[in-house]
Amino acid sequence: MREIVKVEGLKMYFGGLKAIDNLDMSIYEHETLGIIGPNGAGKTTLFNTICGVYKPTGGKVIFNGQEVQGSPPYEIARKGIARTFQISKPLHDLTILDNVIAASGIHEYTGIRSFFKKSHTKEVLEKVHAILELVGLSHIADKKAREVSLGYLRRLEIARVLATDPQLIMLDEPCAGLSNYAINEITELILKLKSQGKTIVLIEHNLPITMKVCDRILVLNYGQKIAEGTPEEVQHNKKVIEAYLGEEDED
Amino acid sequence: MGNYITTVAVNIAVFSLLALSLNIIIGYAGQSMMGHAAFFGIGAYTAAILTNKGISFWLALLASLIVSGALGAILGIISLRLRDDFLAITTIGINFVMVALFQNMKFFGGSLGMAVKPLTMFGKKATPMHFLIMLLILIFLVCMLIRKMNSSWFGLALASLRGDEGAAQSFGVNTNQYKILAFIIGTSIAGLTGGVYAHRMTFIFSSSFAFIVSISIISMVVVGGVGTIRGPLVGAILLGAAPELLRFADDYRMILYGGVIVLMMRFQPQGLLGENSFLMNKFNQYINPLLKRKGGEFNA
Repeated sequence: MREIVKVEGLKMYFGGLKAIDNLDMSIYEHETLGIIGPNGAGKTTLFNTICGVYKPTGGKVIFNGQEVQGSPPYEIARKGIARTFQISKPLHDLTILDNVIAASGIHEYTGIRSFFKKSHTKEVLEKVHAILELVGLSHIADKKAREVSLGYLRRLEIARVLATDPQLIMLDEPCAGLSNYAINEITELILKLKSQGKTIVLIEHNLPITMKVCDRILVLNYGQKIAEGTPEEVQHNKKVIEAYLGEEDED
Repeated sequence: MGNYITTVAVNIAVFSLLALSLNIIIGYAGQSMMGHAAFFGIGAYTAAILTNKGISFWLALLASLIVSGALGAILGIISLRLRDDFLAITTIGINFVMVALFQNMKFFGGSLGMAVKPLTMFGKKATPMHFLIMLLILIFLVCMLIRKMNSSWFGLALASLRGDEGAAQSFGVNTNQYKILAFIIGTSIAGLTGGVYAHRMTFIFSSSFAFIVSISIISMVVVGGVGTIRGPLVGAILLGAAPELLRFADDYRMILYGGVIVLMMRFQPQGLLGENSFLMNKFNQYINPLLKRKGGEFNA
């Protein structure tokens, strides 16, 4: 399988805090990679560093053979890495439809030139309606984002990601705070994307979901990789059990 | 039309342009801007100085647009490092600094103000009617510009910037670029308006561009409805005509004016004709269906 992202010696320090410490990892095309770890392990920081929200203290992020670390988030997004946010960031005063249309314009935001290009063309609307259908938001397409519930906002995040035609999809806790019913729906959706051959990186606290969805899992603790492998391998890894449950008493 | 009414209409037209242009910055791009009158003043003084030096009115207008747009770009760059309240305070400061410069520098005529060479049109001295027509054409053009903006990717970029900068960047919007562009467009239209205003008044004082004027412009946008085209127009008409209609209660004018704004904020923060406001909901409920039946949907 082709390596789509290679992270080499990545460091992200905040003062004395080593949020990401010398991390090496790879993401392969068409795989679903889970990133797990206790609270504060550096999972979201890793996302933010790959997506350009933070400039890394050191190391490299190589996407399709090109170094991208330190580029601004909008450039990394245009290159094909799309991400959702742990805390949904909808455009509250736009409709669900316009939220997704805005995301589909990823290559249209060219400054003053974008003034002369119409946004709601037939092709754009067709594409966006297909995405809304896929994620199950068609019936509320005309509702304002501020009027819909958290479960729908999470799907909106995924819809926006799909609208950018990404090569790599990064989902930051898409199930956090949802009901069991909504969690199942999101899981189904991720499985659907997976079956379409999309490359997905998933941060998720809910281990059963991670085990079910992911081909490979990477475990972080204190900004370092403590384990990597198939769900079964990781589940039985001693370091992982220690990180989650604490060390076994010597006595 | 009587001279008095024309004069009031010109005043309303000037404020319509100022409110429409401010709305691009605060309503569409969602940036705090409390010093719009400073750029109105920059345009006015630029045009006045140039026509007094013998340069043609039209070139001077173009210069007003460019000079205030350029200074607006600088404010836009400053805005990249400031957010919300801090940006609001900074823009207030800029307003005070500009007024102080207009008032104290000999170059700008100092506290005595500055006489502007009267404009001649078709061989005669321009009348208020000439200015009114000129301003109405400008209002029409600016409305067309905003309509075009709203149907383009540019409009969606501003909406994303206003909604959530992090989200906007996650789908390819260079938010810094669009912030600066919004400031340039808004301030250059204010400057252009200033250029016309200076020649209409034939005499300009620093006090016409003071902070209180910025507040009036904001009030017009807020009372009418933020983020719409109809809002600033209606706000400018209501608040521009109010001082004239309330002349009998001259002493209490500011109280009424202030009271209206407080009531608006409490009961209709989206403005009289903003989205989801009482009047617009009624309009969509009763009047829009009638118009639709006749064909042509009403689109303001």
